[in-house]
Amino acid sequence: MRILIVEDDAALASFIRKGLEAEHHAVDVAHEGTQGRAMAMEFDYDLVVLDLNLPGVDGLSVLKSLRQRKANLPVMILTARSRVEDRVQCLDSGADDYMVKPFSYLELSARARALLRRSHLPSESVLTVRDLCLDRVERKVERAGRHIELTTKEFALLEYLMRNAGRRLTRAMIIEHVWNLTFDSTTNVVDVYINYLRRKVDDGFTPCLIHTVRGVGYQMCPEGASA
Amino acid sequence: MSTSQHLFPKPPRGVDVMGELLHSLSQPLTSLRCSLELSIEENAEQQATVSAALQQTEKVIGMIQLMREYLDAEQPEPRAFLSALAPAVRSLVEELSSIAEVRGVGLRLVGTCTAAMPVPESRLRLALQYLIAALIEAQPGGGKVTLLLGESPAGAVLRAEGEGSSGGPKHRGTSLQTTLRGARIAIASRVLESAGASLVFGGSDVDPTGFVLRIPRGVGAQ
Repeated sequence: MRILIVEDDAALASFIRKGLEAEHHAVDVAHEGTQGRAMAMEFDYDLVVLDLNLPGVDGLSVLKSLRQRKANLPVMILTARSRVEDRVQCLDSGADDYMVKPFSYLELSARARALLRRSHLPSESVLTVRDLCLDRVERKVERAGRHIELTTKEFALLEYLMRNAGRRLTRAMIIEHVWNLTFDSTTNVVDVYINYLRRKVDDGFTPCLIHTVRGVGYQMCPEGASA
Repeated sequence: MSTSQHLFPKPPRGVDVMGELLHSLSQPLTSLRCSLELSIEENAEQQATVSAALQQTEKVIGMIQLMREYLDAEQPEPRAFLSALAPAVRSLVEELSSIAEVRGVGLRLVGTCTAAMPVPESRLRLALQYLIAALIEAQPGGGKVTLLLGESPAGAVLRAEGEGSSGGPKHRGTSLQTTLRGARIAIASRVLESAGASLVFGGSDVDPTGFVLRIPRGVGAQ
């Protein structure tokens, strides 16, 4: 996929570029609004990652111009403003997603994938990682043909891991997506539920699919390799 | 004289200075966090060091987020929002019950109400999450937290009661955890009180045994 980053902070733009390129995307960077708007209008991008606070033309004006000419182009906004009013204004102006600094690169990468998936592919009803299958419609999970009984929360957690198979997920990302709660580093609920899942999904099967990523969180490995 | 008056028409408010500083801090912290996350995979030999640095960075980010939430709570949103209390409490109980269960604490909700509050839904959820989570945390294993929602001619009430005594200072965790819990409760109080509700605690801010949230009738009327 081809992605445009419009971000005036050169260091941050280079980290995002590096991360997205490592995920095999073609990435262009613009450091100010006028240049970013011109590039987004001229070339065909699959996603624009747009900072709001830009020199020249501000991000909101770039977004509004883009929406007039490229209504279907996914745009993810980056901003340091966290107030609900700011978020509403961005979404009302046509943003598809919104990330507040200081965000995690892993979260940005996951949301970029979701936006790209939404704009290119129909939503999958059955997720598969090696011999593990999760049917989102029937609410059924099987590994190597054997039925696995999960609670509602375990099912949601497994679905999130499988949807992001091969990607590292932080505890904060997991608690915010699966529990819909603001992350509190004092709770160990994610670790406890990962253990519940491991007992049901990995115990007695090879290879183990759920891996701990030291210092970060967890990862479902499609190849079963050590994380 | 006139130049300096032009440059500094009046000293900025403390809350605005804090807001700008936090806003400015978020940029380098984003770079730092992203660079550490990306470095973990590249530096197998340095993985433990990079992981430790990332964990410390995330702690700092967590504290900055709390400060921003507090500042946001100090300033009313310019747009009018209205959020229903009962659905917010119900969905939080659903989400928090697994956290309570992991701690060996029972959590249940009784009753309902029709009250709404003039506050964005995300902020109402955040305030209620902080209060209920603090109460769960304050219970010893085997304790219970009961939430009672009700309505009277005067308005709606959410009464939260912890059952079982707190484990004392040892149970409260480190001083940082105690400080963060106190900050979260202060944020919750500010959000709810600025939306017209009153909040009374049983126990102390850092060691709560319960709370009563009262929403006078007409608070949510537009």
